[in-house]
Amino acid sequence: MGALDFLDDVRRMNKRQLYYQVLNFGMIVSSALMIWKGLMVVTGSESPIVVVLSGSMEPAFHRGDLLLLTNYKEEPIRVGEIVVFKIEGRDIPIVHRVLKVHEKVDGKIKFLTKGDNNSVDDRGLYAKGQLWLEKKDVVGRAKAYLPYAGIVTILMNDYPKFKYAILAFLGIFVLTHRE
Amino acid sequence: MWINTTENCVCKVVMDEKPVKIDKWDSGALKNALDDGAKKVLIDILGYKESHALMDGRLLICTIAIGFAMFALIWDYFHPFPLSRNVLMLCVISYFILMGVLTFYLSYVERGIFLVALEQDRAMMEPDNTWKLSSTLRKYDDVYSLTISYTDGKTKQERSASTSKCVASYFDENGVFCFDLFQPIVEAMRQDLALDKKIQ
Repeated sequence: MGALDFLDDVRRMNKRQLYYQVLNFGMIVSSALMIWKGLMVVTGSESPIVVVLSGSMEPAFHRGDLLLLTNYKEEPIRVGEIVVFKIEGRDIPIVHRVLKVHEKVDGKIKFLTKGDNNSVDDRGLYAKGQLWLEKKDVVGRAKAYLPYAGIVTILMNDYPKFKYAILAFLGIFVLTHRE
Repeated sequence: MWINTTENCVCKVVMDEKPVKIDKWDSGALKNALDDGAKKVLIDILGYKESHALMDGRLLICTIAIGFAMFALIWDYFHPFPLSRNVLMLCVISYFILMGVLTFYLSYVERGIFLVALEQDRAMMEPDNTWKLSSTLRKYDDVYSLTISYTDGKTKQERSASTSKCVASYFDENGVFCFDLFQPIVEAMRQDLALDKKIQ
């Protein structure tokens, strides 16, 4: 009695209801996953929504801004555009502006980037010996942004325990409450 | 005076060791407790057979939908994004179509029916009579309405009856479900519907 009373709901369920409870939880997760994968298909970017983690693009973007990316093959990359790219050996993609572009006749390009708020270009950030970025490094181009909407993500990244606590709480809540 | 033989036959009475106690301000818990109570009257006390087909249909739709989502996740893991595009598109579209099917199923097929019970003819000569129970309890309302619909196995005639009563009539102050107050109401409804058949 007492502390475990919240489990009574679960204890009274039969096996079909228990299974449905698990499915219900699964559907919440799946819906989020499918929306994400759907966005990937529509935008062509492997990570269609990113959160700006640093102040290197101020005043254009601040820490915590949410960016919507697209990555259509047919759109060329041009100087002045803001791209999100991956660097080998780094987990987190970087959002910076394109500074120089070299394009060959066959469409192959190499380009250099720089953060608006940084005093030097990004060569120091690239992998060792890498001087240019190529098309394959691009995750997407910033098409829209929502100021500060991603601040929760930053908080969760900074305090992982907070993230796991919230996830565990929501999981238990959904699993133990009927419908 | 009409004497219906099934009324006198109390097949088995299953009593919970512990009375059902719920948070009385949680309308979902109230509804679940009452639905379970009505189910107990028909299945445990009267010994009708529960038909799971309706619930199984819903479980099947959900399972297939989650199957698509899991497949997309696994496929995308082994064939990273630009390669997996077509498979992802297929899975995403199928998933959302299935969610639409689920919504349709819940609102037009299940329609809040929480129990389908089959009353078997004891001589096994006639087809089963079907009892369908559905209920509503609006979120910020205290009126629980229970609808029982009865389909005669032989004549295929359908009749239904419903009662609406404040939930406070079935629960005490602490949120303990008073099954002894609820049972007679369900029994009476059931009896009315069943007797109706005999008179005709």
